[in-house]
Amino acid sequence: MILSVVKVLGHAFFVMAVGLLFMGVGRRFSARFHRRYGPPVWQSYIDVIKCFSRKSISHHWIMDMGSVMGLAGLVAASMFLPVGRYLPFQSTGPIIVILYLMPIGYLGMAMGVSASGNPLASIGIGRALTLMLGYEVPFATIVLCMIAAFNSTSLVSLGQAQQAGFLSWNIITMPFGFVAGIIALQAMLAEKPFDTMIAPSEIASGPMVELSGKFLGLAFLQHSVGIFVETGLIVTLFLGGGPGVGFFILKQFLVYMLSLAINAIFARYRVEQATKFLWFTAGGLAFIQLVINMYLRSGTI
Amino acid sequence: MLKVSREEILDGKFERVLNFFRSRSLWMLYYCTGCGAVELPPTMTSRFDIERFGIGPMATPRQADILLVTGYVSVKTLKRIVRSYEQMPEPKWVVGFGSCPVNGGIYWKSYATINQLDRYIPVDLSLSGCMPRPQAVIDGFVNLMEMIRKGEAVGYKKYRLNYEWYKQNQAEVLERTEPVLRPGIASVGKVQETKKKISVMEGVK
Amino acid sequence: MARKLRRLLAGSTVNERYGNRLEVITDGPHAVSALVILKSSGFEHLSNITCVDWIDEHRMDVTYNLWSYTHRLHAVVKAQAHRDALEVPTTGEIWPQAQVYEREIHEMFGVEFTGNPDLSPLFLHNWRDMPPLRKDFDTEEYSRRAYGVVDGVEEAGV
Repeated sequence: MILSVVKVLGHAFFVMAVGLLFMGVGRRFSARFHRRYGPPVWQSYIDVIKCFSRKSISHHWIMDMGSVMGLAGLVAASMFLPVGRYLPFQSTGPIIVILYLMPIGYLGMAMGVSASGNPLASIGIGRALTLMLGYEVPFATIVLCMIAAFNSTSLVSLGQAQQAGFLSWNIITMPFGFVAGIIALQAMLAEKPFDTMIAPSEIASGPMVELSGKFLGLAFLQHSVGIFVETGLIVTLFLGGGPGVGFFILKQFLVYMLSLAINAIFARYRVEQATKFLWFTAGGLAFIQLVINMYLRSGTI
Repeated sequence: MLKVSREEILDGKFERVLNFFRSRSLWMLYYCTGCGAVELPPTMTSRFDIERFGIGPMATPRQADILLVTGYVSVKTLKRIVRSYEQMPEPKWVVGFGSCPVNGGIYWKSYATINQLDRYIPVDLSLSGCMPRPQAVIDGFVNLMEMIRKGEAVGYKKYRLNYEWYKQNQAEVLERTEPVLRPGIASVGKVQETKKKISVMEGVK
Repeated sequence: MARKLRRLLAGSTVNERYGNRLEVITDGPHAVSALVILKSSGFEHLSNITCVDWIDEHRMDVTYNLWSYTHRLHAVVKAQAHRDALEVPTTGEIWPQAQVYEREIHEMFGVEFTGNPDLSPLFLHNWRDMPPLRKDFDTEEYSRRAYGVVDGVEEAGV
């Protein structure tokens, strides 16, 4: 009993640490895109420690609760993701559970931030939730593709089905799905061209406008766990899931660098343009993939 | 005058550990008060990169550590600067950018701009120059990081302990009830006449 | 154009300056009628209104800059007012934007514009002294008294 609690807590800290390391390396990587040196790779750890060492101002007890709920939802989602065949407790890695624990993170943050009373925060949260509505469409269609192809919703069995070498990875057998997945990943990570949620000089950094001290630290940690979970999902669905923890993290790193490379080049979409793009272009590609999968499975449409 | 000066309130030993982390990741609220803000984009972008020291721009006072007062401060701006400074959570530092927050700069004769920012909010570091070049800005920030690490940059504690003095100075400028140049005082009258003649001669030229 | 204006504006002086510029010199109460005549003669655009303080001659000039698109001519109307009786009727009915200019001149120079509906201060915050842009306002003394003076620092090596 004690051992399983320790395993769960250790897994949570491991996920946060790897996520912060990704953020640090990512800042250096995108600095090289701008032809300059960036901060050292452990910069995100220093940022989080600094945030927790400041005094913070809370406007309402719902704000405290909402910030913790935001982090808790994403950490709970990360418990069900198989990291190279390792899980903190016995489960089949159900993808539906992950799909509904991730929005709990967003909604918790939305609740906490709206309780702070700043109208800019409400505008930012409105945009973030609209964007979430946008990316759930292609992502849920991709999940349906996987169900149609492999007849199960378990990530563990998905990982095992792709173990037969490089050519059995879903990136080769389902290319349209992979492109739709990468576009949906940009929106989930709030990177350009879909980062209208953060928007620093338009709405003074959107939902984070009233967060100071430990609330900002919790928001940072939530972002880092989100990076881990979302890139981990793309790796398990399309890139084979890795035979061990090391390979898994390496593949996650490559996916994150691809997403940062797209971030460094593009400008920002408005919310209605972004949702239209996500529904019709990315959702359309995922729908084509779904039709192909159902045809291949049953022989007829 | 100031009741508590800087030397008496340096940070203790536990704070020094946290100060190491605080000095490596400073987030600044660049409140572009005046013309000095034009030197900040070159400092932050690719050529004189300041992000390698961990310093980055942040959008709101609630998230920022440093309040950067760039350029001249008029009376209307002073009211908003004081309000932004009081919104920032501790620990916080103020950097006076350019010569105008130091002694008035090139606008020292003006009736609309204040001369000495240190009387209204505590300034930790001053960079002189009109405008300081990015190399000077980076040198100043490295000095500020050293000061924070050693525990000497304690402007926020000075503000808290000398609160009445600062508020009195602010009220003197912001909520004036009497005219400053009072006509009809005998000893000042002659000075005023000679000054009027000088200004008239300047006007005719 | 100058001859036509001399005929129309009987009580004022009309000069021709260099290039395409005219100058009309009137005094306070006649300024409005001069502006109406000028507007109907083709000077339809009011560029700005400003004020000049002639402290030696003990008067102030409220200066209107007008431009004519049809004739490509520029006209300056100087309405002279005595320094102890600073009253000029408002031109807000001829051009609506004049109301804001007059508000600024009232705040900075102290000229009273009769008929202007709103003369509240625009720029100055909590101001109790005399209007600051007059020539007998000592701005250096004001800055010294209100904001203090910082002593110079001996620079090392200079």
